[in-house]
Amino acid sequence: MDIRIEGLTKTFGDYTAVQVDSMHIPSGESFGLIGNNGAGKTTLFRSLIDLIEPSTGSAFIGEFETNKTDSWKAFTGSYLDENFIVGHLLPEEYFDFIASIHGMSESDLANKLAEFETLFNGEITGGKKLIRDLSKGNQKKVGIAAAILFDPKVLVLDEPFANLDPSTQIRLKELLKKLKNDKGVTMLISSHDLAHVTEVCERIVLLEKGDVIEDIKTSSETLKNLENYFSDVGKTSIED
Amino acid sequence: MKVILQLIGMQWKEARRSPLWNKNLIINIVLAVSFLYLIGMFVLLGVFLDDILIKISVEGIDYRTYKESFVLRRLNQYLLYYFFMDLILRYFIQKLPALSVQPLLHLPISKSKLVHFMLGKSIWSPINWAHGLIFVPFILELFENLPFDESLFWSIGLVSVVYLNNFLLIYIKRTSEVDFRVYLGMLALLVGIVSADWFDLIDFQQISAGVFNAFFLNPISLLAPIGIAAIFYALNFRFLKSNLYMDRLSTSKQSEISYVGAGFLSRFGVVGRLTELEFKFIWRNKRTRSVLLITIMFLGYGLLVFPTDEYAGNHLMYVLFSVIITGMFILNYGQYLLGWEGSHFDHILTRKVDFSDYYKSKFLLFAIVSGSAMLLSIPYAYFGWEILLVVFSVFLFNIGVGSHCVMFFGSLNPKKIDLSKGTVLNWQGVGAAQFMLVIPVLGLPLCLFGIGVIFDSIYLGIGLIAAFGVIGLIGTNIWIGWLAKWLTSQRYKISRDFRNQ
Repeated sequence: MDIRIEGLTKTFGDYTAVQVDSMHIPSGESFGLIGNNGAGKTTLFRSLIDLIEPSTGSAFIGEFETNKTDSWKAFTGSYLDENFIVGHLLPEEYFDFIASIHGMSESDLANKLAEFETLFNGEITGGKKLIRDLSKGNQKKVGIAAAILFDPKVLVLDEPFANLDPSTQIRLKELLKKLKNDKGVTMLISSHDLAHVTEVCERIVLLEKGDVIEDIKTSSETLKNLENYFSDVGKTSIED
Repeated sequence: MKVILQLIGMQWKEARRSPLWNKNLIINIVLAVSFLYLIGMFVLLGVFLDDILIKISVEGIDYRTYKESFVLRRLNQYLLYYFFMDLILRYFIQKLPALSVQPLLHLPISKSKLVHFMLGKSIWSPINWAHGLIFVPFILELFENLPFDESLFWSIGLVSVVYLNNFLLIYIKRTSEVDFRVYLGMLALLVGIVSADWFDLIDFQQISAGVFNAFFLNPISLLAPIGIAAIFYALNFRFLKSNLYMDRLSTSKQSEISYVGAGFLSRFGVVGRLTELEFKFIWRNKRTRSVLLITIMFLGYGLLVFPTDEYAGNHLMYVLFSVIITGMFILNYGQYLLGWEGSHFDHILTRKVDFSDYYKSKFLLFAIVSGSAMLLSIPYAYFGWEILLVVFSVFLFNIGVGSHCVMFFGSLNPKKIDLSKGTVLNWQGVGAAQFMLVIPVLGLPLCLFGIGVIFDSIYLGIGLIAAFGVIGLIGTNIWIGWLAKWLTSQRYKISRDFRNQ
């Protein structure tokens, strides 16, 4: 399932948060979005999955324009922040619910949860803590797992690596690579961690103040170039 | 001293900048009017307290020995009850003196100072000053009629009992939060005292009179309430100071929750599944749980009303009762329909569930709770079988018309609700829409019944109420379809508001 963004802008008053003329993410591509705070990463994701109304332009997942129909919800998994998880449920109850609205059987669900076992590290399922009482990192694990649970064709994750412990970061990276290689999931991932995102994503888009600055295929040089870019960002503007 | 002043300044800013200040003019006016009304009632009670006390018939009292202090002695007989009630009321509405100490703990301010500040703050609690509204007018008259020293000593005694209650309650409430047994012990004591009074085992009036008369007859006794208040202040101080650590101060206790799988309702597909989740939601959050508990409590309302001669056979009372029984939950819970779910609204928007299924699940929830309330009120048939007829017709009306109106108003400008707070005196989320709801839910059935009364047939009234309900029920799908469309058009605005709150 591919993703197309056409002439999408989002303005808040005079301030333009995002401005993307045209962007195509082919089916099965892993797409990394980077940029400093306020660059518009989350705004772009929110516009894509119809949480905010774009000022102009449109976004398509497959053939479906996301703010015109709901059909894309059946095969799009997303986790942007805690607003995506239901705090008063136990993680299992939440997974049950997600599985049931996607028509999964109990054994499907059990198999899926078994796949997440290393990611969960025994801290998520089987406990007696509601999601809202879990730590930030564990909440994130629940949210990401719920987004992957039903075998989505498109996966949208905002800063999936932040707040996770190092072991989980490594396991999550492996899981995402597997999803791409085995299932051909189209992935959109934003991150502040350049090392992780260049490792997982084959294509990197760099946003600055809402504009696309770079759109590159990941290579061995990418990480170094990006690090140079980010260490220079502030300086050049001060020298101006 | 400088630190204390700065702490006061911080408290002031915290209060001023609290997001709870309602920006809505109508709400502020309603709040101000009810507030003034309450103050007025208290002051009036204080002004006429002596006249009331004189009118109460007294048996076996020798008027001559009482002379001028008759009124005061009469009052003193009841004060123990009064302060007992005060303590119970405080348990429910007085907030523990909290100071967001967490950001201050690592600063060079002594813990003793922080604790003294927290406790000192409680002296200014409105619940302490509300007593003044009643007793200041009374005390002014006291000074005119009794010797100066007697009036003064009694007043000092009264004030010290108010603060004794203040610090006692803070101590009870704080320790009972940590240790459940304190709570049970208090409950046992309460039951014991009430039953001792009920069966005349102990003459509380006599004890009360003894204690409070002593204040002005024998001023040395004043040391007792002052001393006890000081002891409880010290206990509070010790408790707070030794517990001034982040992990002990956090009020959100995590209880262990057991897994509850899909139940009976999940047979009804996604809608039933959503309703099940909603029941979990209601039970697992303090504020929603209290909404449900209040509904259950009000099931007993009929026992207060129907047995009395005044309301026996009063059909309008039947309607009012039925509205409260079957409509209370719909109104109380439904008014914040979307507000409850403010913390996971993005989940609602991105999941694969139609908005019409979403509203249907709310409708199912209302029908289940309201229907259960109706079934539970069947025993009231004992007071007249017509009650059942009225309850049933009002039930139809509430799910056919009431729930529809509530679902709409609950989706209008929703505000995110903080679920960890109780319902008592909680104005968060209240907007004009919540007041508007009273018209269709309470007003309309009463009007319809009124038409029946005009034509001298209660059956006409009952029939009209039921007919409205049935018509509404037939239109449910159309209405829900319309609501879903409306939510679709409002989704960006609502989710933005929730994210910003």
